[in-house]
Amino acid sequence: MGSGTSAPIRRSFSLALLAILCLGLLLVLMLIELLPWGGPFAPALALFPINVLIYLGAGLLAWYRRPSNSMGALILLTGVWVFLGGAGNTDIPSLVLLGTIASSMPLAGFVHLLLAFPSGRLRGRISRATVAVAYCTSLLLQAPRYLFAPDPAAPGMALADAPELARLGGTVQEVVGFIVLISTMLLLARRLRNASKAERRVLVPLYGYGIAAVVVLLFASRILRPVFAWAPPDVAALQLLMFCGVPIAFALGILRGGVARTAELEELGVWLGEAGTKPAIGAALSRALGDPALEVWFWVPGRDGYVDVDGVEVTVAREARHEVEPVELDGRRIGAISYDTALMAEPDLVRTAGRVVAIALDRERLIAELLASRRALQSSRERLVEVADRERRRIAQDLHDGLQVQLVLLALEAQQIANAGDGGTAVRERATELRRGIDAAAAGLREVVHSVMPAALTQRGLSAAAEDLVDRMPVPTTLTLGVVDHECPPVVESTAYFVVAEALANAVKHSRASAIAVHLSRRGDVLDVEVHDDGDGGARAGRGSGLTGMVERVEAMGGEVHIESARGNGTTIRAEIPCGL
Amino acid sequence: MRVVIGEDEALLRRGLELMLDDAGHDVVAVAADADELEKVAFMHQPDLVVTDIRMPPTFTDEGLLAALRIRARLPGTAVVVLSQYVQRRYAVELISDQTGGIGYLLKQRIADVGQFLGDLRRVGEGGTAIDPDVVEVMVSRARRSDSAVSALTPRQQEVLGLMAEGRSNASIAARLFLTEKAVVQHASRIYTALSLAVDSDAHRRVLAVLQYLNRE
Repeated sequence: MGSGTSAPIRRSFSLALLAILCLGLLLVLMLIELLPWGGPFAPALALFPINVLIYLGAGLLAWYRRPSNSMGALILLTGVWVFLGGAGNTDIPSLVLLGTIASSMPLAGFVHLLLAFPSGRLRGRISRATVAVAYCTSLLLQAPRYLFAPDPAAPGMALADAPELARLGGTVQEVVGFIVLISTMLLLARRLRNASKAERRVLVPLYGYGIAAVVVLLFASRILRPVFAWAPPDVAALQLLMFCGVPIAFALGILRGGVARTAELEELGVWLGEAGTKPAIGAALSRALGDPALEVWFWVPGRDGYVDVDGVEVTVAREARHEVEPVELDGRRIGAISYDTALMAEPDLVRTAGRVVAIALDRERLIAELLASRRALQSSRERLVEVADRERRRIAQDLHDGLQVQLVLLALEAQQIANAGDGGTAVRERATELRRGIDAAAAGLREVVHSVMPAALTQRGLSAAAEDLVDRMPVPTTLTLGVVDHECPPVVESTAYFVVAEALANAVKHSRASAIAVHLSRRGDVLDVEVHDDGDGGARAGRGSGLTGMVERVEAMGGEVHIESARGNGTTIRAEIPCGL
Repeated sequence: MRVVIGEDEALLRRGLELMLDDAGHDVVAVAADADELEKVAFMHQPDLVVTDIRMPPTFTDEGLLAALRIRARLPGTAVVVLSQYVQRRYAVELISDQTGGIGYLLKQRIADVGQFLGDLRRVGEGGTAIDPDVVEVMVSRARRSDSAVSALTPRQQEVLGLMAEGRSNASIAARLFLTEKAVVQHASRIYTALSLAVDSDAHRRVLAVLQYLNRE
């Protein structure tokens, strides 16, 4: 969140606030110029421009310091209502009209500020409803007061001279306003109850002041005048003085005190949340520049080419309607914006946009690069297993075609010598012995070939090979088959086969199991292998264990192995291997 | 016997041909792949087809599939399937039609010429020759899952295995240094223990034993 990472946006934000400041100051000057300064109300009237100044200053400061917190904007909005209230006291008919209509709006603004503090957002349905009712009360229920007034504030404003209706409307407004006040106080009380000690130190005075301001605004003229015989200018001055305190109180509340930290953290959360969404920049640019086909690409220096947000390589094809605008940061190329020339009136706009999003683009580029390299790593691990697998198949086939055939022929030759009968008994016996020796060697070779790559796996597939494994188990073993042979690629089948083989070997060697169950099944894209025994347990993939190699192989295929083997509870080895379909 | 040979290794094909010739058989055709094997078998209608299980073009199990197709079209043709590695599933597929005249042997068995020629002859006469390796898998599997088999004495289990290989009583007697009468006694006890119906036909008896051993 340092100012460096978002300097261009920050700068335009500051400029916008500066513009608001100038506008506000102009309005203050206008107010000073237009207000009627003679008469008993002059001191009270003077409080209007002062109020507007204070709202402007406090609102802008809060907004500037906490850009993602809308409390600053809310303070400014309430300042607008105060300004309109002041404008209602001038002699300009249109301003009087506006001022009369909006004269109760500050009340709604206060309620809004109170309930939105400190994040600037309204939480919960009741909060939102209360604020909505407050605005309605201030705007709509105000209407009878001026529509049926005997002496219209501005010409043509009143519908009829009906003081009863005006009074009735005023009472309704006060009653509803009172309900809003009660609801607000209840909400604030609940929030206080849930607040920490440090937060309460800020909230109690703020809420107290805010409620007092609302009460004064609502009831001052009704109580102070008749009961304490205050003059109307004094009541108005008191009300306006209460107004002054509101923005100061809220701005202070946001900028310091116990809740300030919360607000800052929330801001960080908002920022981090935005950082997590993937194609943010492309979508934002697409919206901002009005080109739905707009794409953001990232530069990969090692490959001298662009990839898209998913890390997939793209080619820069110079099509008639498409243009690619490179984006640079600190003099190095980091990406490009591909856009439709027919939709883009000004190519310069794309260049400017590119400069604006460069930093964020660089971050997304790094993410895309990471994704691409992770994918590359995974596929290279898979390729390694595949290459090893192919090697195994080749070795098995070479041994089969070469050495094994040789051994058959040699043994045949030896036996034929023995059978020829022209060398006497000794030769016959030695030749037969030789044949047996060659047969034994062939049997040994057969085992080697089988362990390198079992014939059943290449000939028929996983189920045939697993069945052969189970057939040869010295412990009663059941096999449940939920797979169709050659449904998955050979390298996946052989991985599953070696899981079963290793798990069974492990069970026979270490577990003293009396029953073993093998399950092979497919769940969508995943081949599930499960081998369970009822033996001692305590198996784990560690150094020197055959299970380690098996786990590595499955993981290289992007799968997972789970070994459950509590002592005395048997062992369950479960592997999930993506079929890669 | 009129024999057709299917084997893709030229030296081995030639060796088999010579061996069978020497033994007085008539090798009417040889084939280097499964398609050709089927073609020459249908053309010559031999008594016996001897084939490697693994042949071009896919080098998987097309020799076996070709043998099964030949038997389907030319019933009564004896087939012996040779393989570098033997497993129960292929044996079960071969004996599934229950008509005999089936052999399933390790390729290495060729070298023991006398034994091998004996096996071929037996298959040609409608008998069965299942490799000892596969039979051992069958018997030990049955021993683990079937109490009737595990209750047999070790000697009876030995006899059971040799019966499953397809051997005659005389051959079993010679192998185990027993009298033929003793073998017959063992066999009848085995039949009783496994509740197999007594069949006067020796070949059908072997098939019944194999079927029993491969029950699920």
